Amino acid sequence: MDANKAEQLKAELQQWFNQAELLIRRIPPNQLYAAVGIVLLTVFLFVLVRVFKRTISNTVVLTGLSGSGKTILFYQLRDGSSHQGTVTSMEPNESIFVLHSETSKKGKIKPVHVVDVPGHSRLRSKLDEFLPQAAGVVFVVDALEFLPNSRAASEYLYDILTKASVVKKKIPLLILCNKVDKVTAHTKEFIRKQLEKEIDKLRASRTALSAADITNEFTLGVPGETFAFSQCRNKVTVAEASGLTGDISQLEQFIREHVKP
Amino acid sequence: MLEQLLIFTRGGLILWTCKELGNALRGSPIDTLIRSCLLEERSGAASFNYDAPGTAYTLKWTFHNELGLVFVAVYQRILHLLYVDDLLAMVKREFSEIYDPKKTVYSDFDDIFRQLRKEAEARAEEIKKAKQVDKPVSNNMGNDSGDGDDNVKVRKLEAHSKGSFVANRNAPAKGIANGKENGSSNNGAFDVNKLQKLRAKGGKKTDTIVNKVPKVETKKKITKKNRVWDDSPKESKLDFTDPVSENGDENIQIVAADEGESMMDKEEIISSESESEEDEDEEAEKGTKVETKKKGWFSSMFQSIAGKANLEKADLEPALRALKDRLMTKNVAEEIAEKLCESVAASLEGKKLGSFTRISSTVQAAMEEALVRILTPRRSIDILRDVHASKEQRKPYVVVFVGVNGVGKSTNLAKVAYWLQQHDVNVMMAACDTFRSGAVEQLRTHARRLQIPIFEKGYEKDPAIVAKEAIQEATRNGSDVVLVDTAGRMQDNEPLMRALSKLIHVNSPDLVLFVGEALVGNDAVDQLSKFNQKLGELSPSASPRLIDGILLTKFDTIDDKVGAALSMVYISGAPVMFVGCGQSYTDLKKLNVKSIVKTLLK
Repeated sequence: MDANKAEQLKAELQQWFNQAELLIRRIPPNQLYAAVGIVLLTVFLFVLVRVFKRTISNTVVLTGLSGSGKTILFYQLRDGSSHQGTVTSMEPNESIFVLHSETSKKGKIKPVHVVDVPGHSRLRSKLDEFLPQAAGVVFVVDALEFLPNSRAASEYLYDILTKASVVKKKIPLLILCNKVDKVTAHTKEFIRKQLEKEIDKLRASRTALSAADITNEFTLGVPGETFAFSQCRNKVTVAEASGLTGDISQLEQFIREHVKP
Repeated sequence: MLEQLLIFTRGGLILWTCKELGNALRGSPIDTLIRSCLLEERSGAASFNYDAPGTAYTLKWTFHNELGLVFVAVYQRILHLLYVDDLLAMVKREFSEIYDPKKTVYSDFDDIFRQLRKEAEARAEEIKKAKQVDKPVSNNMGNDSGDGDDNVKVRKLEAHSKGSFVANRNAPAKGIANGKENGSSNNGAFDVNKLQKLRAKGGKKTDTIVNKVPKVETKKKITKKNRVWDDSPKESKLDFTDPVSENGDENIQIVAADEGESMMDKEEIISSESESEEDEDEEAEKGTKVETKKKGWFSSMFQSIAGKANLEKADLEPALRALKDRLMTKNVAEEIAEKLCESVAASLEGKKLGSFTRISSTVQAAMEEALVRILTPRRSIDILRDVHASKEQRKPYVVVFVGVNGVGKSTNLAKVAYWLQQHDVNVMMAACDTFRSGAVEQLRTHARRLQIPIFEKGYEKDPAIVAKEAIQEATRNGSDVVLVDTAGRMQDNEPLMRALSKLIHVNSPDLVLFVGEALVGNDAVDQLSKFNQKLGELSPSASPRLIDGILLTKFDTIDDKVGAALSMVYISGAPVMFVGCGQSYTDLKKLNVKSIVKTLLK
């Protein structure tokens, strides 16, 4: 029985094979080669584009607590002025542009894709959409009203530093102390030390909880030592800026460092 | 006279403000509007009231969803400007014509605005004159929203100064955002009701005082001898709560320690139901009425391929109605479902439908986003972190459990204690339910099983004093957390709410946790709003403590009718910190926002 069936199948297959051969023979060879060539070319281009997209990213994400000045910085980067002021953002601002200070430079300059994610706690989830493609993250801190918000700021910073996408890809992070044009603003050294202290405390209480509680996928720092930003796997630096007056040179330096012109 | 009119993008950049109305706004009304109204999905409300020291503004707004613009008008609350809505609509129309995403300065709009304002004012004058001639009463209706607020303000002041019960009757005063219907009948009938209430209150008070005295006396006669209030189990021959002997006690203790991990610490396994999205849409289609079914399907298919010009309210209507019904079958309070649908409609009106998307799926996506936004906590709900912070300041972290009768306060207090204990926190219980028989014994049993100290003073004591002494005791013996159990009380019960407000005011706890059961339906709205209102009004201090968090109980008794969580969070703005899902110590977990939203929209 089985042998019969197998033979029958074989015979059928042979028939189909012969028919297919006949059909193919009918098509002129040039067309055939052209069709195959086109298919191979598209596949090749596709693969190329995919590979390239992954390696080069020109996205910089601006994040921080609500009221720290991200939207003003965004517009300073883009237009060089803060226009008529801003209110609490309800949606992210993103656009691809050449930094305003560099528009006067000669030559071809690569545009930067800057995203300003709202800082309001209910809109935090928008950050996860942009983080995977980021070449650099800027965490904006209000240097004027730092102490009342230090706990919220350090919690947010801790959450960002322990996200899988940031740790695995070692995305560099810049802590930008904004509003330094005001006299009573804190210095960047003070802010750095305070943040390190707060994150140290957070480390202790968060590792006491188990994984299900919070979406911290990695732990920070070295257990047993007090936390310092130098212990992070991704590079963390601190800088100062003033959104209102337009003094954003350190921010632009950071962007240029990590998004190659 | 308008104070200010602003146009800004949803991303936060101010595009245009009126230069003529040069007065700077005191305080930050726009930011407050965005944070407490627009981002809280209350954008369907008619107006928003902002109070800053020295000023009282009312804000009205409108959206242009397609271009992502917001138009806000600010004016003094005492002026009842009728032309603001008209003006906003006209401004929206004119501005959308000259709007360009690249431009950020629109100085030519000044002239247009001046013209529009004159037109709007003129039209309002005409309408006013016409109304004054016809019906003097209806004019009152138009100004009702303003009057309602004034009355609320006046009543609040009275309550603060006299400490009396005047403001009790104020049902339509829904906090800050004005609803569209403001019962004008309240204004007329107010005085009569007030008098009656005062008379009734006077009678009630004397009644309770009279009742208290004989109760205490009878108790004294019968059981005074047998009361023993210290914790030692040795001399409890007459203690009927423990029929088992001391051996039995030890057995219970060993069992309690071994109940395993609290469910707070376990990860929830969410079944992925992404394939069922297709089914959802089909169900929604079936939900529409039979007559419009054929036409609806065909036109929606056509529209989905061609892409419609702009979404109108009429188009959103059927999809929103179906969505509202679905929410209500999931036990969301009717009022909340209505407000949510209005807010989603406001955010979708005028938006362009992309091609290959149906209206129902756009509405669904918008609703889902809105629900996730509401249920995501506004502030950190990391209690352990707060406890550590308090520990450093050497004060105990005080949590007060409040709620109506029978929701599970004492049971869930024990569960929270168990969880905290598992994380090496020293917990102490305070039995401030001095009213219900057996409440103190119940807590004592829990304390014995969990081996944590309990502070109790028996029955018929003032709960505020008991709580204060408990906190002092905790500071002395180094407890990190004090969990205060209070008696259940109905939200309408004036004297009990006052007692609760006094307890909170005297002890200023770190966390006021409202315990609500998931089985509750429309009453959730009433419970929470009244609790918050009473805590606000009856507190003698200027900045009263309101409900900080919600503990949702009996979650295992509802299958997928999880709407109570949404109602409670929406009406109070407080996050859900714990969910009680059973009757043993380990049945306490955190609210999983994504799974709740999925269940609600299933």
